[in-house]
Amino acid sequence: MTKPQGAEHRLARTQRGKGAWVSAMYALIIFLFLYAPMVVMVVISFNGKNSIVEMDGFSFRWYKEFAENRALMTGLRNTLILALCASGAATLIGTAAAIALDAWKKSLTRSALMVVTDIPMMAPDIVTGISMMLMFVLFGTIVGNGGSLGFGTLLIAHITFCVPYVILSVLPRLRQMDPHLAEAAMDLGCTPFAAFRRVVLPNITSSIVTGALMAFTLSLDDFVISHFTTSGSFNTLPLEIYSITRKPVRPSIFALSTLIFVGIFLLLLLINFAQSRAERKTIR
Amino acid sequence: MKKNRLIDLQNISVTLGDTPVLQGMNLYIRDKEFITLLGPSGCGKTTTLRLIAGFLQPDSGEVFFDGKRVGDTPPHRRPVNTIFQRYALFPHLNVADNIAFGLRLQHKSRVDITRTVDEMLSLVNLKSFANRAVASLSGGQQQRVAIARALAVKPKVLLLDEPLGALDLKLRKDMQLELKKIQRRMGITFVYVTHDQEEALSMSDTVVVMDGGEIQQIGTPIDIYNEPVNAFVADFIGESNIVDGIMLRDDLARFSGHEFVCVDHGFAKDEAVDIVVRPEDVDVVAPDVGMLRGTVTTCTFKGVHYEMIVDIGGFLWMIQTTDYSPVGAFIGLHIEPDAIHVMKKSKYSGLFGDYSCFTEEYYELSEPEEA
Repeated sequence: MTKPQGAEHRLARTQRGKGAWVSAMYALIIFLFLYAPMVVMVVISFNGKNSIVEMDGFSFRWYKEFAENRALMTGLRNTLILALCASGAATLIGTAAAIALDAWKKSLTRSALMVVTDIPMMAPDIVTGISMMLMFVLFGTIVGNGGSLGFGTLLIAHITFCVPYVILSVLPRLRQMDPHLAEAAMDLGCTPFAAFRRVVLPNITSSIVTGALMAFTLSLDDFVISHFTTSGSFNTLPLEIYSITRKPVRPSIFALSTLIFVGIFLLLLLINFAQSRAERKTIR
Repeated sequence: MKKNRLIDLQNISVTLGDTPVLQGMNLYIRDKEFITLLGPSGCGKTTTLRLIAGFLQPDSGEVFFDGKRVGDTPPHRRPVNTIFQRYALFPHLNVADNIAFGLRLQHKSRVDITRTVDEMLSLVNLKSFANRAVASLSGGQQQRVAIARALAVKPKVLLLDEPLGALDLKLRKDMQLELKKIQRRMGITFVYVTHDQEEALSMSDTVVVMDGGEIQQIGTPIDIYNEPVNAFVADFIGESNIVDGIMLRDDLARFSGHEFVCVDHGFAKDEAVDIVVRPEDVDVVAPDVGMLRGTVTTCTFKGVHYEMIVDIGGFLWMIQTTDYSPVGAFIGLHIEPDAIHVMKKSKYSGLFGDYSCFTEEYYELSEPEEA
């Protein structure tokens, strides 16, 4: 009962200290599980020797080998072109869809529409991939151009699975926005389109950027859906890598994977940055 | 008379979804007038404002500006500006750019824009805030920016949709005075929407009392308070005791078991009527000289006066007086002839005016928001 206050303080501090130690350990283990494989891969990609156990000094040898591999470089180029086109189109479509969904008055119809747009996100990639292939082949046969899978079909497939993510990013921002902003702009002399461009768009830009980056990343590393919706004529990087790994794996694949990892990592940082900026803006 | 009508709403009906919001509304607004649409939430006052602004088209009826039909004119071509309930300031622009928004759309020269923005900032006492982000301002300051932004484009009419609803009481009182001052100085028409009757009475030239999509009464604040047309208006504006009565003949009414001399006439002989007596118009006297007699059931100190609920033959009256009577006291009441207001029976008769369910919480209950 008469315990001095200082003792209690000390007790609280040691308890907090113990808690901090536990949570630090926990975080460490999580990071170890998540990133150990990456670290191993990155290290080996710089190994001078063609071995995963014998180390032979730091070298860019495998990066050079990868850069000289025509198939891989074409795959990389294809992937980047596809990701740019798909994310661009998905951003346009997704943003327009989000605006339409936000303007929808009847809540029942709206929630039904939301579920419909979310399904491609929930459905397993393999189902999406197979169903898309089926549709493309069927449609191709009907127009008498059977089995012409390639860039076009790949692009359509990628846009399809990217759109929900753009909607998911833009819609909440629209919801947060004062619904009277556009009206206020029109009230001050804007045409409806000018009101959108001058007031609505600047206020959702950051969420559109986030959505676009998300779409870009998703398109970049998609394998399953791409596998079903293209043929040999247009191969993306993940498909190219997959075909290589059926033979003994060359360390140049590690080099390539390291590059992809770093690229995706930077993109994720960008997304996070864009999101936190958007959040800071809404704080009143 | 007709010439003075700046805005004229004729036979307006609006239905949103399945609910009729306005039913055959007729209202004209004079130039340079401070007119207030007053009513409970859902009475159609905000809808009326949106009609004038052009955000809504009536199902039937016509809107005229300066005698010209404006049914098809979109909002951005109407000479009116709106102050929205939550201000709707543009968060991506700073204070000065918010105010300059409308001016830039009018392609004013840079010099003109700077001058007008400065004028507006000093009008609303925000001179040093030009470069601040709107998100960093307090509610009252945001309110001022909204006013400055709307006035910068020199509208003929300013529409205000419960502009003070989000402010605290003290700030609200200050802004009431300031708005009135601004309206006089700029010499433009204000159409003000509120559910706060005190706000309406203290600021307006004309008050329009609305309920259920219909106009109940139009008049000056004094008319509305002293001569309410029906039980709804009498109850909504201020406190009222509303009792059933019979008009025996001109200037003589009978209610609560007593005959009273009054100053109302023009009713049929023995016509059933509603009688309004304001709580502050009742004098407390000794029981033997009182016209009415009753027992005090509650007595609350309100600062300037005591507010008592008095049971008179089962009907509970509210009385505001400076003379204290303890709970349980048997008192007499005296009512002067001009304190009695007689109204025709209406669909609101019998719905209001009895204080039997009166509790202190009554005051805090309703701060309704209109959807």
